[in-house]
Amino acid sequence: MSEVTQLAESLHPHEVKVVSALKASAQREGLTEEDLAKAAGLEVAQVSAALGRLQLKGLVTVLSETTRPIVSLTETGKHYFQRYAPMVRVMSALRAAAEKGGQLTIKDIQTREGLDSGEISTSVGELKREGVLAIGVGGVVQTTSAASVTADSLQQLIRFVHEGPKPLSEFPASDQALIEKFSQKRGKPKEPFRVDERVIRTYGLQELGHAVALKIQKEGVREEATRLTPEMLKDGSWRQVRFRKYTIALKPARIAAGKKHPYREFLDLVKAKLVSMGFEEMRGGLIENEFWNMDALFMPQFHLARETHDVYFVKEPRHSSPIPEPFLSQVAGAHEHGDRTGSSGWDYTFDRMRTRRLVLRSQGTAVSARTLAATPHVPGKYFSIARCFRYDQVDATHAPDFFQIEGIVLGPDINFRTLLGLLTLFAREVAQAQEIRFAPAYFPFTEPSVEVHVRHPRLGWIELGGAGLFRPEVRLPLGVEVPVIAWGLGLDRMAMVALDIHDIRDLFSADLEMIRSKRVQY
Amino acid sequence: MPTISVNRKDFDKLLGRHVTDKELEAWLPLVKGEIKEVDAASGEIRFELQDSNRPDLWCVEGIARQIRVKLNGRPDSYPYLRTAKRRLDQILVEQGLERVRPFIGGCKVRGYKVAEEGLAQLIQTQEKLADIFGRKRRMVSIGLYRLPSIKFPVTYVLADPDRTRFRPLGYGEPMSLREILEIHPKGQEYGGLLSGHDQVPLLRDAKGDVLSFPPIINSRDIGEVQVGDADLFIEVTGTDLRMVMLAVNILAANLHDRGASIEPVEVVYPSKTAYGRTVRMPQAFSKPCAIKLSDVSTALGDALSPKDIRASLASYGYTVTGSGSRLLVSLPPYRNDLMHPVDVVEDVAISRGYNAFGPIMPATFTVGGLSRIEQLSDKVRELMLGFGFQEIVSNILGARVDLIHRMRLSNGHPEARCVEIENVMSQSYECLRQWVLPSLLRVETASSRSFYPHFLFELGEVVVLDPQTETGTRTEVRLGALLAHANANFSETHSFLDLLCFYLGWAYALTPTDHPSFLEGRVGRVEREGNAVGLIGELHPEVLERWQITMPCSAFELVIDLPGKSQS
Repeated sequence: MSEVTQLAESLHPHEVKVVSALKASAQREGLTEEDLAKAAGLEVAQVSAALGRLQLKGLVTVLSETTRPIVSLTETGKHYFQRYAPMVRVMSALRAAAEKGGQLTIKDIQTREGLDSGEISTSVGELKREGVLAIGVGGVVQTTSAASVTADSLQQLIRFVHEGPKPLSEFPASDQALIEKFSQKRGKPKEPFRVDERVIRTYGLQELGHAVALKIQKEGVREEATRLTPEMLKDGSWRQVRFRKYTIALKPARIAAGKKHPYREFLDLVKAKLVSMGFEEMRGGLIENEFWNMDALFMPQFHLARETHDVYFVKEPRHSSPIPEPFLSQVAGAHEHGDRTGSSGWDYTFDRMRTRRLVLRSQGTAVSARTLAATPHVPGKYFSIARCFRYDQVDATHAPDFFQIEGIVLGPDINFRTLLGLLTLFAREVAQAQEIRFAPAYFPFTEPSVEVHVRHPRLGWIELGGAGLFRPEVRLPLGVEVPVIAWGLGLDRMAMVALDIHDIRDLFSADLEMIRSKRVQY
Repeated sequence: MPTISVNRKDFDKLLGRHVTDKELEAWLPLVKGEIKEVDAASGEIRFELQDSNRPDLWCVEGIARQIRVKLNGRPDSYPYLRTAKRRLDQILVEQGLERVRPFIGGCKVRGYKVAEEGLAQLIQTQEKLADIFGRKRRMVSIGLYRLPSIKFPVTYVLADPDRTRFRPLGYGEPMSLREILEIHPKGQEYGGLLSGHDQVPLLRDAKGDVLSFPPIINSRDIGEVQVGDADLFIEVTGTDLRMVMLAVNILAANLHDRGASIEPVEVVYPSKTAYGRTVRMPQAFSKPCAIKLSDVSTALGDALSPKDIRASLASYGYTVTGSGSRLLVSLPPYRNDLMHPVDVVEDVAISRGYNAFGPIMPATFTVGGLSRIEQLSDKVRELMLGFGFQEIVSNILGARVDLIHRMRLSNGHPEARCVEIENVMSQSYECLRQWVLPSLLRVETASSRSFYPHFLFELGEVVVLDPQTETGTRTEVRLGALLAHANANFSETHSFLDLLCFYLGWAYALTPTDHPSFLEGRVGRVEREGNAVGLIGELHPEVLERWQITMPCSAFELVIDLPGKSQS
């Protein structure tokens, strides 16, 4: 199929009309959008859209571009078209009163016609200047002529321009002066006309356009269907129908689709990784008591490690039900003097009431502590993605609440080197990192403690997480005899890179446009 | 996490050699430190130290010492700890202080010319120890004095706040202790530590001159140490004897490292303490710990020889005695953080370097899996995504105005009850959401410029009060769904709810109800197995107005896990 045929067949009906109108026109200087709208029997907006597409297809080109003052009606002008200009209404009010032998003051006219003070004073002033009225005794308005030329001309012009914007040059000089006089400009906001400099383009056919138009002229416009209907399928009439060809390269409209939240999508990937590595999910409540949130983790009630670990306290209720035994006594014993853990303990009096104080869970390790006390599998691997809360000023690096990804690994073969092995596995699987470094770290509930740094493909060296072997003072009072790894991954920085955001609060953004437009690059 | 500022030259001097940046980086794991900032021009380095249990490392002397010990392969010796024959100067503690601030310690420092950098570091250490280790002076506070002005014995007494006067630091005129508490900035800052006591601690020398008013302020006459001073007296008061002793030991070791000679003092208490009635300071007071070599090897997963373990500990500052399979290890005097043999195990690992241990990859087989509620949640999310809904993830902390007022709930409404925070940091985050819909409306409010329709859902946790449970609250997993578009209505919303329940195999019923958040007659309660588990309806125009939403919204909210099945 030749290019001309292909093009001719792909034209939208509006485009066909525009091309044909251009072909038929004798104007060598081309046609404006308004001319074309008239010639093709289309709306200006339809012509404009068709011209845009025809230009893209190389059928039509702009022949000339001139700047001309164009007159159009303002909102005030449209209002005057419907209800007549104030000058006209003043004159007709006076005429009506005169016919009945009555007299009117300015105030009477204003009230009767519902004009505002600006309108009445400008109109009366204008009519006085023209000499068609005068103010007599007692403020009575007297007419000297039955009609005002200015008022009538103005109303005619309003009616004429209401048909559509017109080039100023098409008006006779006297009308042009009148239009100028009643045009909206700075300091005169309520006038019926506005004059804008507008670029007027004329359009003509390109060579290819001529060929296409000629083809259409010769072969006529075929009966074309825009879409296939159920009826056509039922009666088989689709066989007689030609389907208009589409221009398929145009950008499509956006649609609303079901989509995962980008942060959740990232967390789902991590969750799937952990399950694939043999981890079982643990869950816990958002409200914890201090026992599981801190005491069971051997964080002493008076200690620095606990004071700097700032938590939100619950206002009401304040306390949980009592901590079950034997955990309360065993944990208290570990804190006070080590009990049977082989530790000297923190050597202070453990406050048993304080264990019940309710807090917002501040660390996912609270979930691990509960798991340890609930006869976990040995060997066993556990994880949780737990929402946690800290008493922190909210800023670009602190969200009001956040997810902690952490867990435990239990087994008789657990030791420092298997801990490093687990972190190596995380580094490879979760961060796709080959280069790994370990450094000593401090957590109140693990010893030894380690933090793992990895070389991230895009971020360079970052801290991937912290881990350690639970202190015997943590696991023994909860009834776990085998060594236990406690690990935590700090993935928010990776999540922010995956989502291309720079403020941690944006992980929980309320901006739907942003949520819709993010894609996860993990 | 303490952050300290260190001068590079001072650091090199303390270490005994120049240190390159690369070396410094490599040694920082020894002190669990991290470089925060380096100012090449001034030679200033800012370190952050991680270990809350190692206050000895929160100063340039401590960091340099830990590295120096490593380089030397053995601990430094501290001659002042050996029992001296001659009689020591004394601090006498008066009866009654046990009720206020029981403990005091100190030492004399001679032959140390106070230079600018040393003084700055001394003050920084004093501040870090009192602020962080001493919890803003509550448990430990420290005073420095010019030794020549003091006549021993020094007495630690209780004084009447109105009858004792002295010239505090920063003031020209003598003030009474009460005036100091009321007027002096330090009195205002730390006075609370003494509230409720008629009599307050005071430190005097044998002439009757006031040294200080612990833990508030020093005397300007005796307690204003300046560059050029040679002999000092250091004093520490506090509420815990071992913390006081540790602080004295750290300060003594720091000044010893700078070339001073330390002279111990004796503190005489009115009655017996855990370390006797007369306590010599500084003294090596931390108890030795017996460790089994096999325990170390088992914990580390590496068969280390006794020689390796000894060498690792010695080069980390420990004194090691004993032989065969058991060792008796003692911490250096500036540490007191040994509770359990695992603490020694970590120090062996740190001393050898973590990266010297070969990782052993996990080999044990375990079955991975998700909890019942997470599996259910994922199924619900998948269905909602398939229905064309955009998933939302919101914060759980919120404001009462959003969760209650904007939803047209009155304060007395049963669904207006939520868990509130006692120590609120910001009004925007004062309570935990008790339902999900407000989170979705928050998104709708912020998103009118995003093209419509908006089909939103969030599957997430909420907290409701429940006296029947352990914590008096219940964390529920709920699904909230919101439809916002020009024709959003009940029946469209109902269709989605119905389809969801169909695929989940849930039998449900809708019963008409009244709810302030929804239009009357267009709201229903969702029931499953006899439990009210949710709501569905067209949101009340006034709710939309309060959220400044100008698009009709219809919604449902559903508890995903039935009460009683919440924990997996």
